[in-house]
Amino acid sequence: MLSVENLNVSYGHAKVLHDVSLKVSNGEMVFIAGRNGAGKTTLLKTIAGFLKPDTGSVIFEDKKINGMLPEKVAHLGIRYVFQDKRVFSNLTVKENLEIAAYPVKENIKDAIDKVIGIYPKIEKFLNMRAGSLSGGQRQILLIGRALIGKPKLLLIDEPTEGLAAGTINDILNVLVKMKGNISLVIVEQNLSVVGMLADRVYMMKEGKILKEMTEKDEITNKENLEKYL
Amino acid sequence: MINTIAYGLTIGGILYIISIGLSLTFGTMRIVNFAHGLIYTIGAYLLITTLPIFKNNFIIGALFTVLAVIPISYVIERFIIRKLYGVSIDYAIIATYAVVLIGIDLIKWIWGASPIPLSDPIGIDITLFSVTIPLYRLMIIVLSLIIFVTLTIFFKKTMIGKIVIAALEDKDAVRSLGINVDKYFSYVFIIGSCLAALGGVLYAPITSVHPYMGMMVLLISFAVVLVGGLGNIKGTFVSAFILGLVMAITGRFWGPAAETMVFIVMGIVLIFKPIEV
Ligand SMILES: Nc1ncnc2c1ncn2[C@@H]1O[C@H](COP(=O)(O)OP(=O)(O)OP(=O)(O)O)[C@@H](O)[C@H]1O
Ligand SMILES: [Mg+2]
Repeated sequence: MLSVENLNVSYGHAKVLHDVSLKVSNGEMVFIAGRNGAGKTTLLKTIAGFLKPDTGSVIFEDKKINGMLPEKVAHLGIRYVFQDKRVFSNLTVKENLEIAAYPVKENIKDAIDKVIGIYPKIEKFLNMRAGSLSGGQRQILLIGRALIGKPKLLLIDEPTEGLAAGTINDILNVLVKMKGNISLVIVEQNLSVVGMLADRVYMMKEGKILKEMTEKDEITNKENLEKYL
Repeated sequence: MINTIAYGLTIGGILYIISIGLSLTFGTMRIVNFAHGLIYTIGAYLLITTLPIFKNNFIIGALFTVLAVIPISYVIERFIIRKLYGVSIDYAIIATYAVVLIGIDLIKWIWGASPIPLSDPIGIDITLFSVTIPLYRLMIIVLSLIIFVTLTIFFKKTMIGKIVIAALEDKDAVRSLGINVDKYFSYVFIIGSCLAALGGVLYAPITSVHPYMGMMVLLISFAVVLVGGLGNIKGTFVSAFILGLVMAITGRFWGPAAETMVFIVMGIVLIFKPIEV
């Protein structure tokens, strides 16, 4: 459903991605791992329309989408969850969901139910300021917010980064519930998480894809993954 | 002294009405918009030009002026401001300042350069708690309160308002949900411009109407916005009234220092509360 072909992306004169290619099939959970500065965020932002590639293409459901504005890309059914875990902190949790439901004309009740479906505890926080949520709750709100309006592809940037072990479990539960129902590209540096959930893994280094893995025993073997860091 | 305070509150009310648009454009679009002062001036000129047509009915003249500013500000937003998104802030200053210079020359060409006086549209004084003030000024204070409450409700309760609040905090996140943020920013720009024109309309009877009237007001508005916090709706309100009072009270003791004092207060506030961008 998504295919990225020979993508080259720069910030000004600094070239950050070199001939990056990857693909995602329907319902697949794809992970991207690699050290800090490898270009993982740059890759997701380019797919989501926030950065324009110098050359190469991003093809989503047979349509070339590179060069489209991020809001147009979102309308095609792609959602990007940023790395920084920023919610709309001055709005309530419910209002955060309202903003997501508005452009896709989804009923707010259905939107809330969808998020409760992946994380029942959120019901208690609906009328709280989103800014008062904990790091893990914010991450779940961000993922829940991105699920509103039946997107087809979710891009999630380091969902477990900076979270405590217990909270990471909450996030894992959410990811497990989504697995198979929606296509996902997840940037993740925690290789145990990658091993547990991935259908396909791309290891990135210095702006290049170093290795693609699809075999279960390759993916679940942590030492094997570490070789490509 | 109570009279001075009443005068300060009037100035505060007008400053609020003018500054809120500037603050929101600053906060949402990250653009320093000098053209805001021009819209204020245009408001005053449109009022004095149309008043005779409307048989000196001030309210109808004011309403007409505020509505007439919608297409003008739409053009400024669509063809100038929107081109400035994301570019360096000095380009925005230069481009919008150019708009001001062209606008002022146009005004001089149409209406001439000499100041035009306008009389108090109500012309009644009222006495409240042993203070006599023109009813008109009291109405300005009340109107600014109504606008504050309306805007507060607008930003809390309407979808457009919530989207703008969200985008003030994280524009890209709003875009990633499929919302064309620029459309909402232009609504905010137009609302802000209409309020600037209303400010010009309201201030016209208190001073006189002249081509440069927007310049000084704009600088004071910048002070209001910086003290109140960029894009901060409540902060702008509080800061407008405080600086209005500062102006009136300083002016009572030493007229020429009134405006300078505003900038001194701004400087002091900024030392203790750095600008958050
Ligand atoms: N806005 C920017 N301007 C210039 N260079 C940038 C910008 N953003 C990122 N870079 C550079 O591009 C490279 C890739 O950054 P990117 O954020 O994509 O890496 P990442 O793999 O997501 O890292 P992390 O794991 O720290 O999130 C880095 O060298 C970074 O310094
Ligand atoms: Mg990153």
